[in-house]
Amino acid sequence: MTMSETDAWAALSNRIKVLEQMSEEGQRTIDELRARDALKTQFLSNISHDLRTPLAAIITHAEILRDGMLGTLNAKQADSVSGILNGGHQLLDMIDEILTYVRTASDQITLVRTEFSLPELADQVRLLNQALAARKHLTIERLNGDDLPLVYADRDKIKHVLANLIGNAIKFTDDGGRIWIAFSRRGSNGETVCVEVGDTGRGIAFNHFELIFREFAQVDASPSRPHHGTGLGLAIARKLVELHSGHIWVESELGKGSRFFFTLPLQPAGD
Amino acid sequence: MAPRILIVEDSALIVDAFKVLFVDAGYDVDAASTIAEAVEAGTAVRPDVMLLDLTLPDGNGLDIMQALKERDSLPRVTLAMTGHNDAKSRHSCIEAGCADVLLKPVPIAELLRQIKRHLAS
Repeated sequence: MTMSETDAWAALSNRIKVLEQMSEEGQRTIDELRARDALKTQFLSNISHDLRTPLAAIITHAEILRDGMLGTLNAKQADSVSGILNGGHQLLDMIDEILTYVRTASDQITLVRTEFSLPELADQVRLLNQALAARKHLTIERLNGDDLPLVYADRDKIKHVLANLIGNAIKFTDDGGRIWIAFSRRGSNGETVCVEVGDTGRGIAFNHFELIFREFAQVDASPSRPHHGTGLGLAIARKLVELHSGHIWVESELGKGSRFFFTLPLQPAGD
Repeated sequence: MAPRILIVEDSALIVDAFKVLFVDAGYDVDAASTIAEAVEAGTAVRPDVMLLDLTLPDGNGLDIMQALKERDSLPRVTLAMTGHNDAKSRHSCIEAGCADVLLKPVPIAELLRQIKRHLAS
């Protein structure tokens, strides 16, 4: 080996050592970030539990007052107590959303699959939201689906996804608009069901199509935004759909409404 | 004699709210905030109904069921209360001998109805 070859080998060997060190440092950083992420998730879980307890006490006290257990309320008092209850339940929903997110993020969710009818479930969620929609003079209709076969999935989780999509549609559609639920079969043998929740609302810009499915992301995140929420709803919906080996996406144009889609295999892989 | 309820719950805020509710509804009420207190109260006052929070500072609320069983002091009805609406925790509560599992916060009308129903059965 000539002198210059020896130098080249030494240089190469040094370079390898440096790269090894960098790789170790990189791994340490990844481990540290993972540990911090786990801490953040644990913190969210703890704080949500701790927020839930006093809130449960507030709601219970308000219900005791509302039900006249401590004496009959006059109309103004009843209105005020009803305001406490509405606010309390809204807050409770948000805390529960954070808790659901924590469970999905830390893979604490296991699916409990049963056979059920998707259109029937959609009707149930539709009815639950009817009063809220009526306040904005919105109609919610199911366009088809009577001939759809039963799906084998976690009913509660799919209900959560549908409730989230319909809730969003109500939130972001102006007075007098229309919301619909439709079903179609996809795949060469129709082995996948596609659920659509559409609305005539304000729509979503193309560059936000991915953002809205990310946790804590809201298209308008300013404190003065008209629609408050945790920004977790669609992130949770995506996780729940993906746990079923399905996909979720949106098609939309600003000012022309939105159509959210998610797919579910009729039979889960491996079954 | 009025039926006796033992509230096992570590949040004083919740205990206070339940006391107002149950006293007004005509029940005698006791409260315990730890497993140790609950086992002692459960043995001493022999409640008809135990409302059981599952997350207690000294452990899992379901341990109380086992301890009371060993002392032959299980209440007629135990209703578990949990913040988790999942099949697994529901299953472990029923397995431990709870009559039902209620998701916190339980609407008061529902809570009173459940207690009445289980006491009658």
